[in-house]
Amino acid sequence: MSSLDSALIEVNQLDASYGDRQVLKDINLTVNKGEILVIMGGSGSGKSTLLKNMLGLMKPAAGEILINSMDINSVNKSELLKLRRTMGVAFQGGALLSSMSVGDNIKLPLRQHTDLDENTISIMTRLKLELMNLAGFEDLMPSELSGGMLKRAGLARAVIMDPKILFFDEPSAGLDPVTSVELDQLILELRKAMNMTIIVVTHELESAFTIADRIAVLFDGEVVITGTVDEIKNCTDERVINLINRSPRKVQIDGEKYLSRLTKGAK
Amino acid sequence: MSFDCSDHLHYKVLHLTGEVDLSNSTKVRRCLLDILDRGNSVIVDFSKLTYIDSSGMAILVEGLNTANKKELSLTIAAAVGAPLQVLELTRLNQVFTLVDSVTDIKE
Amino acid sequence: MFRLIKLIGSSTILFVEELGRFTDFLYQVIKSIFSRPFGGRDLIKQLEFIGARSMSIIILSGLFTGMVLALLFYSVLTRLGSVDLMGSAVGLSLIQELGPVMAAIMVIARVGSSTCAEIAIMRNEQQFDALTCMAVNPYRFVMVPRFLAAIISVPLLTAIFNVVGIFGGYIVGVYLKGLSGTLYLQNLIDKIGWEELRMSVIKSFVFAVIFIWISMAKGFFVHFEKGVSGAEAVSLVTTKAVVASAIAMLFADYISNSFLI
Repeated sequence: MSSLDSALIEVNQLDASYGDRQVLKDINLTVNKGEILVIMGGSGSGKSTLLKNMLGLMKPAAGEILINSMDINSVNKSELLKLRRTMGVAFQGGALLSSMSVGDNIKLPLRQHTDLDENTISIMTRLKLELMNLAGFEDLMPSELSGGMLKRAGLARAVIMDPKILFFDEPSAGLDPVTSVELDQLILELRKAMNMTIIVVTHELESAFTIADRIAVLFDGEVVITGTVDEIKNCTDERVINLINRSPRKVQIDGEKYLSRLTKGAK
Repeated sequence: MSFDCSDHLHYKVLHLTGEVDLSNSTKVRRCLLDILDRGNSVIVDFSKLTYIDSSGMAILVEGLNTANKKELSLTIAAAVGAPLQVLELTRLNQVFTLVDSVTDIKE
Repeated sequence: MFRLIKLIGSSTILFVEELGRFTDFLYQVIKSIFSRPFGGRDLIKQLEFIGARSMSIIILSGLFTGMVLALLFYSVLTRLGSVDLMGSAVGLSLIQELGPVMAAIMVIARVGSSTCAEIAIMRNEQQFDALTCMAVNPYRFVMVPRFLAAIISVPLLTAIFNVVGIFGGYIVGVYLKGLSGTLYLQNLIDKIGWEELRMSVIKSFVFAVIFIWISMAKGFFVHFEKGVSGAEAVSLVTTKAVVASAIAMLFADYISNSFLI
């Protein structure tokens, strides 16, 4: 059992629903300081919903989310503001504001929350762009960027204030293999140099195994297993094995019924 | 975080202690630019620095640029641990002159 | 039979839910007007988009509306023998009624649709989630500039519509039908006072609030539309926003008339 002192984020008995549809059931999760936790699962497993809850974008049906021992759903506005300043979020499509240039997008948190000099802000922005291999792109508008570039710009914005906690929603989706590997390396370097705690939601196995300290596997709204890469690989649960081996779900064919489905309504 | 200045040969040495981050980097900036305004070359002593964030790095970059324009020098001494990793991550270790300690500078 | 009742019931529930969301939305927008920081630059950008760029269609539609009114009134008034009331007839119709309504419809068509679509796309791309996570108030940042620009621009555009319309009436009355120009203008000045102008201002202000509120809210809540997503949802809410704005505006027109006339 990991020591409670190092648990930076705690998800306790979380239930989440959209209207009548329950999406998450009794989720329990901890994220330790300085670790990279990967939340994995297939489509419909509830991982996006879990992320939304952890970010405070959604109120849970039951349970609590503690960040730095504070319940994000019951904390007051100024506490929440302070907390949010230490969290960076890289969204799936970058989520840059379409009316502002890339540079202005990245500078937004600095301009809103600090009184740093414009020179300092400008250099910080360019440092982050260089890190993401986007040097020279700061005056472009988001509509002029490719999908991969938008992601990297979104990441630059997420880390511009050197947050202690970084959330990453599907980093590898839509990226070519080389950029994907570079991004994995960047995530590892960020943790090392900036001592960040990183939570990654993904369904890419390779990435997960490369970067994760621990992996939590979600299936149908429940946590099936949380463990190190080795523990996941040695897991005997059928769903986990299928996920790792990428075997399609086996569909039993009933010959007669299949035929009738195919020929329904034929004259 | 605290900082203070001393002299070494004809340089002003800026000793940084503790953690430089968003909350205090503006003060460091003012001090650094003041030193350069008065025409002194600077050695920034990292030996007691435990953490520096991008705002701190940006300030040093601005300092280096200002120094170059005034034909002065800015050197970083005794970078270790997390600050060194930040220099490596940002590839600024290839931009700044790094020395192991202040006393290594003999002229 | 039961299906009908179920349909009415669920529609009512959905409508009330939407009304609740929309009311909270308006409250948040108005509350955020008073919070810092002041995004002056965004306000100017929106004033230019909503106000300045609508000028050409306002002037065109104003001109034609005035001209048509003049033709209409000419034929009616000559039959009644009161063609010297032309000036005030055209003027009052515009100022009290057609000016606010037509100007609003033009702006709804142009600004309502694009604003709704823009905000719906922002929602789909998680831009509002991003703003919330950056602890930036999305209402202050995105909605307030548009809201303020609308309530400033629309009354001004309405006034321009009125002036151009009266001018159009003048052209038809004086140059086409040979009426006396001075009589036209004198009649206008005699019959139109602050009471009437006040009506134009109040109505245009109310219409502005209605359309910008509905357009922005429809876009903001695009993810609540059942059964559609992505581009299809954006297109759906944009249409709904324009239609709802127009109908709500006409309803408000009736209500204002019963109070002000």
